[in-house]
Amino acid sequence: MSDASTSPEHDRWSGLPAWLRPRPVDLPGSGRLRLIETTLLVLLGVLLAVATVNDVVRQTHVNHRLIADLATWRAYTAHPYHNLSIEQELFGPASQHEVVCGNTSPGGPKARTQLCLVVYGPISGGRRTVHGGWYLPPKVEDVRSDRYGCFGAASRGMCPP
Amino acid sequence: MSVATQSERGVGRIRSEWWRPALVSLLALLLVIATGEIVLDGAAGRSPLIPKSPAIAGWLQGIGERLGYRVFLVPILLFAAAYGAMLLLTRGVRAPAISKRWAIVLIAALHAIVFAGPILISTDVFSYIAYARMGVEHGINPYLHGPIAISRDPIFQYVGHDWRHVATAYGPLYTLLSYPFAPLGVKGALWGMKILALLASAGTLVLTWRCARARDLDPVWAILAVGANPLYIIYGVGGAHNDLLMLMLMMVAVSLTLRGRDAAAGAVVVAGALVKATVAALLPFMILSRRRLAPILGALAALAAGAIVAYAAFGVHGIDVVAALNRDAAFVSTDSFATEIAHLFGKPGVFPIDHDLLKASLVLIALHLMWRTWRGYDWIAASGWTLLAISVTSTWLLAWYILWPLPLAVLTRDRRLVVATLALQALFLLHQTSPLFAPVQ
Repeated sequence: MSDASTSPEHDRWSGLPAWLRPRPVDLPGSGRLRLIETTLLVLLGVLLAVATVNDVVRQTHVNHRLIADLATWRAYTAHPYHNLSIEQELFGPASQHEVVCGNTSPGGPKARTQLCLVVYGPISGGRRTVHGGWYLPPKVEDVRSDRYGCFGAASRGMCPP
Repeated sequence: MSVATQSERGVGRIRSEWWRPALVSLLALLLVIATGEIVLDGAAGRSPLIPKSPAIAGWLQGIGERLGYRVFLVPILLFAAAYGAMLLLTRGVRAPAISKRWAIVLIAALHAIVFAGPILISTDVFSYIAYARMGVEHGINPYLHGPIAISRDPIFQYVGHDWRHVATAYGPLYTLLSYPFAPLGVKGALWGMKILALLASAGTLVLTWRCARARDLDPVWAILAVGANPLYIIYGVGGAHNDLLMLMLMMVAVSLTLRGRDAAAGAVVVAGALVKATVAALLPFMILSRRRLAPILGALAALAAGAIVAYAAFGVHGIDVVAALNRDAAFVSTDSFATEIAHLFGKPGVFPIDHDLLKASLVLIALHLMWRTWRGYDWIAASGWTLLAISVTSTWLLAWYILWPLPLAVLTRDRRLVVATLALQALFLLHQTSPLFAPVQ
């Protein structure tokens, strides 16, 4: 049986410092390194777990807000439609100002003239406050050039002149 | 203590654990029921989790209810819990809690249920078909144009909105492999892709079995951990993802290395990278571990052959893998751990500097693992850690990316890898659960 310490491969790397020389197998005595690795892994795991739980809680709050926004649009328009779209970032991702758009008469998604409402503020009675809005022609996305009939303080400057 | 007494105690212990196989059978039944519910509900149509698709599972319609987020989350969480319990109950026990035959029957049943159903969760398979049809039916280079270039083709309506302008990021070997499916029509190509995914999964599991046995590990546990994994079954096989083909080639390379065929192993890793580039992460660890020229020569030969074929088929864009990787590295998904950590620190999302920090972290981790491999650490485990690190540091994380390290994790004696891989998968599933607490309708 050949001894690893006297093998030709060992000789080839003998010029390297001890910590850099190759080994055929991991030494069982590398417990300190393993402990450091495991500690780092556990810490990283804790960070990822906390971040995940935090994100679930954050998303749940966002969902509660969106549920209130949809209920607000339905109450404001008296249309019980489900094909509504919500834009969350028009006023900035952290603004908690949402724009909810839906048809003004029955039809497929965006198939009719759409009414968009700017909704923000605290949830009260499962709804939030409408602070303005605008209309959109059928089959268009919500871009400034297509908006018309802006109303309310929140829609100031949102429609083309 | 006499041998007879020891033997009697052993028999007594086995008898006292009669409940273990019974419980494992119950858990196996739960896996089948959960998978069946997701597939049957998905076949009912009009689900936000089922992409618009040609009707390939119409015969299953009318049995389940519409697959909403809540309807999906309950069975997938049940699936995950039963899978975790099954792994705990079958790991390292003297009397097998599940026989080889029943483990294979369970995995085959899970695959068959998903195979019979609609495409689950992802539109990726339609992109694969669109790229194939671009090349074969329309003579358009899929490395230069997105599917928007064939907007009149019947496959176009099924391609995800985000990917319609995006040229393929998959390797030239995969693109060429997908070309024979293009003339089969949309439905034919879809079934072809499903069969390819099924075969790739079967290949991965057979090789996982063989490698586990070669390394003196429990092969039944190894194939259960991979083949009954909820993300593997529902997201991987359910979405007919080409990651399964990449995993199969990865396992071919591992199997060849274990048999001492280093040159062939190096060549197969490159072939895998020509399907999906990620698997190239194995190569440095394989080379450092073997300390021979053979894997380098094998890899270089395969790279040269692949580059010639790719250049002939797709021109210079077919071999420019770096450009495609750089483009994809800039994508950001809400499920990525990077985004979650950004939210934790009050930021709206990841910033360009975060991309650089994540890349630097990945390089440091890879260098540490290379040094460890050089110093005798198991190269298969080091490769698995690297694939796991890629998914953790990626800002574009999808469920099937956390599958990459799993077949390697079950082949190593370093239990930390399999625990870390399964823990990350559990966190991914946990991150999907907000509709349980506040369902938006």
